[in-house]
Amino acid sequence: MTFIFESGYTFWNPLIWIIVFLVVAIMVYFFRRSGQKGYKKDTDQARIFLSGEEVPEAGERHIRVGNIYWGFFETLKEYYKQMLRIHTGIVNDYMLWFVAVTVVSAIILVVAGLVR
Amino acid sequence: MASLLAQAPILIIAIPLVAAFLTPLIGMRGDKARKALVVGSLAFTAFLVFALARDISITGIRVYTLGATAPGLTEPTGFMFPVRIILEVDGMSIFFGIIWAIVSLAAAIYSFSHIASETGQIRFFTLLLLMVAGGFGMMLTGDLFNLFVFLEIASIAGGALIGFRNRFGDTQEGAFKYIVVSAVAGLMVLLGTGILYAQYNSLNMAFLAQAIQYTTLDKIALALFLIAFAMKTGMVPLHLWFPDAYSVAPASITGMLVITSHACMYAAFRVCFTLYGGVIDGLVVGWIIIILGLLTMFVGVTMAVYQKDVMRFMSYHAISQLGYMWVGVGVGLAVLGTPALLAYGRDAMTGGIFHILNHAMYKPLLFFTGGALFYYTGTRDLAKMGGLAHKMKWTTVLYIIGTLSISGIPPLNGFSSKILIYESVFRFNPILTIVGIIVSILTLASFTKAFHSAFMGAELPEYKGGKEVPKSMIIGMVILAAGIVLITLFPSLIVSWALHPAADALIDHGAYINAVMGAVP
Repeated sequence: MTFIFESGYTFWNPLIWIIVFLVVAIMVYFFRRSGQKGYKKDTDQARIFLSGEEVPEAGERHIRVGNIYWGFFETLKEYYKQMLRIHTGIVNDYMLWFVAVTVVSAIILVVAGLVR
Repeated sequence: MASLLAQAPILIIAIPLVAAFLTPLIGMRGDKARKALVVGSLAFTAFLVFALARDISITGIRVYTLGATAPGLTEPTGFMFPVRIILEVDGMSIFFGIIWAIVSLAAAIYSFSHIASETGQIRFFTLLLLMVAGGFGMMLTGDLFNLFVFLEIASIAGGALIGFRNRFGDTQEGAFKYIVVSAVAGLMVLLGTGILYAQYNSLNMAFLAQAIQYTTLDKIALALFLIAFAMKTGMVPLHLWFPDAYSVAPASITGMLVITSHACMYAAFRVCFTLYGGVIDGLVVGWIIIILGLLTMFVGVTMAVYQKDVMRFMSYHAISQLGYMWVGVGVGLAVLGTPALLAYGRDAMTGGIFHILNHAMYKPLLFFTGGALFYYTGTRDLAKMGGLAHKMKWTTVLYIIGTLSISGIPPLNGFSSKILIYESVFRFNPILTIVGIIVSILTLASFTKAFHSAFMGAELPEYKGGKEVPKSMIIGMVILAAGIVLITLFPSLIVSWALHPAADALIDHGAYINAVMGAVP
């Protein structure tokens, strides 16, 4: 069957997943339908409640990209410091890397040939 | 139809090339004529590619000799080796051809609206078609010097297209870096070609593959080829130019540049498996590729998480995903000629090649969604975006499809190729699988971050008045999303019809040689 993907130790049938997703989607739709029918747009019912505090404007309450995963970056601060140091933006440096990697690869190939 | 199919290898290169030079003429008759020419030529080329692919799956490797009385006559009378330019199309080259045909058509359609407000559209489409011709040439040629020539055509056209929006300083800087890197890589390929030509008096890959001795000079040439092509694909630590160039090009071109990276990867595979296939020290070269591939995966994704510019973010992810392909095929190379090749090496290669196909669908799609965000907001800065799902419903859905696919979330196609890579390379070395899974988790985390930043949240006042991107941009994205759905639903069909023949074409380098050298009268 063309849906089933099998190669020795890999078995994979996307249809099963799609059926599971469809069942979940139908369930979500069912739960949503059984929600409040008396909901009215643009009234206090739809307004955000923040424990009585004043709700900031949309732009101010949106968590921007710079604030996401702060802890991850803080933990890997040293790694990123080194990485950013390499990314100089200068094309001469890019070429130096190219020369270095080519030379090292050529040496490895030649030396490995002599050893084996 | 049969005579058309007989000429298909050269027509696939010639049609976009001729269309490129016709574009300025036809373009004078108006936008519609130009668009019809671009789409018509690319659609017809795509038709020929699929027809040729079908033919190759039935009859085997196709050889086309330019200037010969019959396309299959590879050696002129009285000669012991091929001297004419030969195109050689096997399972691997046509596999890349199919990818290039689909993505270039989607990119051209996407471009119609994406660059509608720009001046110099005739130049844009001329260059786009030249780039397509260069890409096809790289994939179909059986001649090392022509590989260099087509690489140059694709690179020069690509560089000009990166700098197309020349009112921005960063586009000019990106284009400059791309041209410098491409020129140096091209020169190294030329130097490697020269080294082989000086020793074996031929530029034909099949002949060279038969004659090559793996001398010290051959090894130096191999290093030059491998690292030059690796740099063009953005392999770490040669990736530094990649986000600088890819992030500033028009999104449609960035999508195509991803496939030119694949074309360079194809060239590297062709050199390792076909040209040097009979003599290569697979374990050493395989490990070089695997180590650099692992670095590419990890550095690419960790740098991507850090980005705030949506196109740089996408570019680093492109680098990271290319690492999976290097690792998969690298494992195949490392076990080439050993019993492990049949045990798991072929599957690792198939997984790597499968990932190329998947990447060719979801990465341009994601770049296109990035371009749609830029089109709508006028900025690439994710920090300035938010709540865009309210207005960009199509883009949001297509972004989600691309995100789930690149992150390897079942049931999307990205999962199929990743599971094949994980399970096969695990038997070679479990660390490869562990790194792959970590990279996949970080990929999902970073795309979730970008999704939240751009699409989620309340509608921001500055973006309230806008509307979804034009239809042609959506059509371009939908073509690629349809490709993702198709591969998701029929992984087995894709593997047996396209991927196993591609992997086998690499492994069986004797068949490649015989297709040209076996035709001696």
